[in-house]
Parts: sequence; C-alpha cells; structure tokens
Amino acid sequence: MAAPERRIGAIGRFLLKRLGLAAISLFLLSVLVFFAAQVLPGNVARRILGPFADQAAVEALNEELGTDQPLLTQYWDWISGVLTGDLGESLAYGVPVSDLIGDALLNSLKLAAFAFVMVVPLAILGGVVAALKRDRLTDRVITIGGLSFSTVPEFVTGILLILVFGLWLGWFPVSANAPEGSSFLTELKYLFLPALTLVILLFGYIARITRAGTIESLDADYTRTAFLKGLPRRTVIRRHVLRNSLLPTIAVVSTQTAYLIGGLVVIETLFNYPGMGRLIFTAANQKDFPLLQSGVLVIGIVVLVATLLADLLYSLLNPRIRFATAE
Amino acid sequence: MDETQRRVDEIRKERSELENHLIDELVAGKINRREFIRRGTVVGLSLSSLSFIAAACGGDDDDGGGGEGAATGATEPAAGGNVQQGGTIRVALIQPTTEPNPLLVQDEGGAGILGATGEFLSFSDENLELQPRIAESWEPNEDGSVWTFKIRQGVKFHNGAPLVAQDVVTTFDKLINPDGGSANAQSALGGVLSQGGIEAPDEATVVFNLDAPNGNFPTLVSSANYNAIIIPADLDPADWGQTFEGTGPFKLERFTPKVGLTVVRNEAYWGEPAVADRVEIKFYDEEAPMILALQGDEVDFVEHFSVSGGKALLDDDNVQVLAVKAATHRQLHMRTDKEPFTDKRVRQAIALSIDRNALVEGLWEGQADLGNDSPFAPLYPYTDQSVPQREQDLEQAKQLLSDAGAGDGFTVQLDTWNGFEIPDLAQLVKNYAQEIGVTINLKITDAATYYGDGVFGKSTWLDSVMGITDYGHRPVPNVYLTSALSGDPKIGVWNSAHFKNDQYDQLVRDYVAALDLDSQRAVAKQIQELLLDETPIIFPYFYYFLSAAKPNLQGAVSAATGQFDLSKAGFTT
Repeated sequence: MAAPERRIGAIGRFLLKRLGLAAISLFLLSVLVFFAAQVLPGNVARRILGPFADQAAVEALNEELGTDQPLLTQYWDWISGVLTGDLGESLAYGVPVSDLIGDALLNSLKLAAFAFVMVVPLAILGGVVAALKRDRLTDRVITIGGLSFSTVPEFVTGILLILVFGLWLGWFPVSANAPEGSSFLTELKYLFLPALTLVILLFGYIARITRAGTIESLDADYTRTAFLKGLPRRTVIRRHVLRNSLLPTIAVVSTQTAYLIGGLVVIETLFNYPGMGRLIFTAANQKDFPLLQSGVLVIGIVVLVATLLADLLYSLLNPRIRFATAE
Repeated sequence: MDETQRRVDEIRKERSELENHLIDELVAGKINRREFIRRGTVVGLSLSSLSFIAAACGGDDDDGGGGEGAATGATEPAAGGNVQQGGTIRVALIQPTTEPNPLLVQDEGGAGILGATGEFLSFSDENLELQPRIAESWEPNEDGSVWTFKIRQGVKFHNGAPLVAQDVVTTFDKLINPDGGSANAQSALGGVLSQGGIEAPDEATVVFNLDAPNGNFPTLVSSANYNAIIIPADLDPADWGQTFEGTGPFKLERFTPKVGLTVVRNEAYWGEPAVADRVEIKFYDEEAPMILALQGDEVDFVEHFSVSGGKALLDDDNVQVLAVKAATHRQLHMRTDKEPFTDKRVRQAIALSIDRNALVEGLWEGQADLGNDSPFAPLYPYTDQSVPQREQDLEQAKQLLSDAGAGDGFTVQLDTWNGFEIPDLAQLVKNYAQEIGVTINLKITDAATYYGDGVFGKSTWLDSVMGITDYGHRPVPNVYLTSALSGDPKIGVWNSAHFKNDQYDQLVRDYVAALDLDSQRAVAKQIQELLLDETPIIFPYFYYFLSAAKPNLQGAVSAATGQFDLSKAGFTT
C-alpha cells in the first residue's frame, strides 16, 4: 500500500487534472452555446419590440443592447463578465440573469433531489432483486414493467397523475410551486407528483443497468470464491456483489443530471414549476442571449460537478481505481 | 309643454352637433336603446343623461341596426348580501414576455399586469362601452378634431402624489414618441395624434388636438390601448416595474419575474374600494396547466382560454364561462401583385371554396362570428349587416377559376406559423382548395421565422404569396383598415396582400372622418362591398374571448382586449 502522503498527493493531482479538464470543457461549451444561439432565427430587438414596431426603433435598440457588434466582441463582452461573476442582464426581463438563474436553479435542484431520493434506492432495489431472481416472474415484471413505463412520454404520465391524484382523488396539488413560506412538508407535497413522474420515467433504465451490473458481479470469480469460502449468501451479496454492481449505476445516474437539471421543460411547464429547463427554453425562444448562454453554462457547471462527485464515489467503491491513481 | 320634453330639450341645447345627431337617430328608431347608450358613452354623454334621454325619447330594446351587445362578459355584479368582503382572488395569466415597462408591453400577459395596478382614462368593457375612470367626461368639438377630457380631481397615485392633467399629457407624449415610444400604442394612434398635440390648459383638463377628425378617438385612449395607463410625469417607464405605480383599486405587494404578481387593495382609491383584499396573479407558460389549476382549485379565475384547449371547461357545469364578443381574427392574405392571385376572380374563388360555418363549428365550437372578408366584424355597430354573407360555393368558385384562365388549377405555397388553431385552419383551407383543383403547399414554421424583421423584404409575413396572420382584438377597426390594407407605403405597414386601390383608400379616409353612426355605416357598407369584390384578404371568422371563473366568484369583468377588472369581484358564501 502506498504511503499516506503519496495517496493525498495522488488525489490532489486527480482533482487538479479534473478541474483543468472541466475548465476546458466549459470554455468549449461557452463557445458552442454562443454560436449556436446566433443561428436562431429572428432579430433580438425585433423580438423585444414586436413585429409591429418601427424599423428605426429596432435598430436603435439593437445598438443599445450591443447586438449589432461583431460576434467576437459580443462573445468577449459576455465571457469576460461571466469570469468576474457578472452573468449579464436579461434582454427580455431587464433583471440580472443571476437572479433568474439563482431561483430557477434552486427549484430544479429541489425537484431533482426529491426525484433522486425516490428513484435511486427504488431502482437499485428493483435491479438487484431482478438479478437475484433472474429469469423468474419477479424479474420479468420488474424489467418489462420498468421498460414500459420509461417509454411513456412524461407529459402523458404527468397528466395522468394530475388527473388521478390531483383532480379525482384530490390528494395532491396540480402544480408544483408551493406558496411562499410553506413548510418543508408542504413543499414536498407540491413536488410529489412531478417527482413521481420522473421516478416512473427513470426507474426502468436505472433498474436495468443495476440488474446487468449485479448479474455480472454474481457471475464473477471473486463472488464464487466468496461462496466457496463459506460466507453466507447475504454477506456475499452485501460485501462483494453490491459495491461492484453499483458501479455502472453510478455512472448512469450521473449522466441523468443534465436532464434532471436542465431538460425538464415538459414537466416544468405541465406543473407550472419555474425551473431551469423552462427558463432556458423560453430564453432560446425569446433570443434572450445573456440568459440563454449563462444558463447553459451554469447547467454545464452543475453537470461537471455531478460527474466529478460520481467519479470520486466510483473510486471509493472500486479499490482498483483508487490504487491505480496512487501508483 | 311636457316637463320631460322640456328637460330633454335643455339637455340637447347644451350638447354638440354630434351628440344631438345621436339623439336624433334614437328618436328616429335607427338605433336601439342599447346602441344609443353604448355610442353615447363613447361620444362623452354622461350615463345619467343617457338613461334619461333613452327613457324619454323611446327607442326599443330590440335590434334597430348595428351589432348587438356582447354575450355575457361579466358575472353578476356583486350583490349586497351574497358576496363577502375580503378574500384573495387567484388568477391564472399567460406569461408576460417582456419586462413590466408600459412602453414595451405588446402581449396579453404584459397587458394584464399593466392593468392590475394601472388605470386608464376610461375602461372599455365587454359591451364596448366606455366607463369613465381617470377622465370624468369628454367632449368633441364641432367636427371631432379636438377632444376635451375633464380629469377627475382628488385622484392619487399609490405613492400618495396627486394626479394632475400634466401626468396625462406626458403619459401620452411618451407613448407616441416617434423615437422610442410604444409600438402598440402607435399602431392605434398613428395618423391620429402627434406629439405636441396634447395640452393641459389647467389641472383638470386635457385637450387632444388631432391630426384629423376622428369619431372613435376616446376608445383609442381608453383601456383598449393597453399601454395607456396613466403614470406620473416624472416616472421613467423603464422604472415602472420597481413600483407598478398607478391610481387603480389595487397596488403592488410583490412581483417575481416569471412567477407572479400579487396586488393588494388600495384603501386610498378615489372610487369604491375593491371587494377583495388581495389578487394573486400567477404566470403560466401554457394553457393546459392553467385549466388544470382551475379544475384543481388552485386558481379562481382564468384570464383567457381557447376553445381547443379548454373543451373540458366548456363542458364543466362547475365552471362559469365568460364569453365576450371580440374582433380577434385571422387574415388569410393573397398577394394581389403576384401570380396566381393578380386576377381578383382567383382570389374570390379561394374565398368561395371555404365553408365558414364548418370552421366556426369545428375550430371554435360555435364560439365565433362568421367573417365576411372585411375587417368589419359583426360586433361593431357600424358594420352594415345588410351586406350578404359570403357562403361556400364550389361551383361558382370553379367557374371563376376557369373564367380567369386557371381552370386547370395551380399550385401555391402558404406560409404561416405554429400557434393557436392556425395549423388546423391552414390544413382545412388546403383541403377546401383541393376541391376546386388548387394545390396549396403548407410551410408552417414558428412566429419568429414567420414575422422575421416585420418589414417588407425581410419578413415572410409581408413577402409571402399566401399566408395566415393572427390579429388581436381592437375595439375599433381603424387600424385593420389602414395598416393592413392601405396602398400608401407609409400607412400600410402591415399590408401583406400588397393591396393598392385608390377608391378603397378614399373610402377609409371618409370612414375615419365620419362622426355619426349613420355616415359610418354608409361608408362601411361601401368598404365591405369593395373588399368582397376585390378579396385581397379572407377573414374567415372573428372569435370570442373566453375567460373562466369558479362558480363562487362573482363580479369579475373580462374585456376582449384581455383586460380584466376584479375591483368588484368577490366570493359568495
């Protein structure tokens, strides 16, 4: 085993390398989103002033907003602001972008966390049980059931849940935004239906990956060795199988982060929830460049952080990775 | 001499020629009582004089001419015992797309929040009647080129500052400022009022000197022009969103962009204080969540819903549907200067191929009026109802095509965008055209692409050979007549059909200048007939404005402009 100082140095080097890669990724992302936004049809000032406004007024506003400057200048203005913490001002709403993003991001994180907390344990349980009872009825039900649910579009699931649990039974509110000053439990009540929609959507995929990972580690040599050593089934599963079967699950879950934070346009619209997905989508429609660009960048940062955490967790569970870095 | 008659004569002596003419029309039976009262409020007669004269001079309630009043656009007014003081009314409103700046607002959501705390010179209600607000009364001069408004005294802004006539002057100056005013306000007042034409000879009077006589002027500065909330003279409209400064029965409590606006009762209001304590307006990006919210008891009032999205509400006995006649419509234009539509017979043929009744039933569940290919919607009192309604006639359509040398049919592209029922309308038009041998290829994009830069040469809307454009409600058709159809490039900035007809332009000038109902209707008849003949644009329908309320909410008023007035709204037990 390597000496502690070398271990710390290894983790430090690991983090530094990752941060460097993250910086490069974010830079590339910023360039990509900036130029992609420029491709969107329509004209910024025209969009703000409306189709019936005077052409002279449109040109004046474009000049004021700086949207008639050369692209590289516009890019530099924006990115230099971001680096100093100024995400710009929303062209449509006239308020600092950071205010809008701050609120929306918090909302998205709440919903994602709630969905996460429900779906991950459930899916892992489902996947492991399916693997243990491989090819039997339980397995079939979990696998095929999960697959079927995940193919139903989220607006269908969402509306069904709203109709049944919101309108007919009246157990839950039909929108996700709790009134100001609600208690934690009330907020959870409001978030339950959208989170459940996500659970239904994601369960199948995560469960199947977990099942595959579990089957693979059940068939592995070290598992057979553990059984042959005489360890009870339960101990084998807990100590050897699980931590290996969870590796692909972690990888998969972390890739869902981008979707959970920035991609929930449909669910946020259906439940009238002011999250990041809706914010970015509207910004793209309105050609609200500062909001769109900074918003995408922020989502990029969240995704990179989530991936980093996933990798750290991965290496914690998988000693081979840990030691490989240490060498 | 009869006492009543003497009093009527006294009133008449003091009134202008225009007002007297209106009374003559009532006496002669040319307009009915309801129409008299409606016209009277627009022209400036007080409601008490109007009721008195209407009672004294007779006039039936049944239709004597002109459009009928709207379908119910208000819930019953708050009856004394039933409605409780206080409470919070929760409203679902479509998401505003701009910041709260009275100059920049050009959408329904924005209009909703301007009107939540702001107040106008007058409020145009569901019957197109003008109810005095900041203006107590108004009067034209002999020929309608100068309008004098009496400003109510004792009105205060929410911050306590008194409202004076100068505030009205600067509000309108800012709106019509050619260098940075409100595009929407200018579309209504362009050619009517210019900067420098407004003056305040004293604190209680505002005089509007118009560019040309205009019989409909008071409507153009009422709530129908939704940017025209009166704001303090020293307030920069860009800062309005900080305080939502106004004189209305509600004032700002809290505004969260993209989420909602909460307003509370203004105890210092000049009129009767609002019934409710608080109104919580929530913003929704889409219609479906709004409708679910009403059904799920999370809102009490949905400001606007469509027939296609709201069938559940139309069928629900537990929901009050408020339907207001409106002039909201679609324009299906055909470029008169490009093949294949240079020959008017071809344009007529297309117009004759569509079944308007089916469109109204199918797309609007009957909640619309038939359009007769002119901007004169049935709800306007000066629309001449005797002009025959164009109906579907496939045989005649085919005949016209063959007369024009297009008997073998042709192919043409129709551009439009994916909003509301427009794609359905486009598909139906395509089907109808197919029946007379015309192949229409649909190109449906999004609003930004279709409208482009909004100028000729840079806008699919204005350049396409055939297209469908959505037009919002306006309480007078002036802007449809001018901007959408005028041959003068300075005026016809929305002339997607590239229509150029000198006789038409002259008729429109005559219409705008006409001050009394009779002459307006006479000119309207000529315009309607000319447009039926030329058919540069097909107007298939004018659909109603629908709002919905919970059954226990009484007194909510919705106007077709998207304005809503909840000052008298409250909950019954």
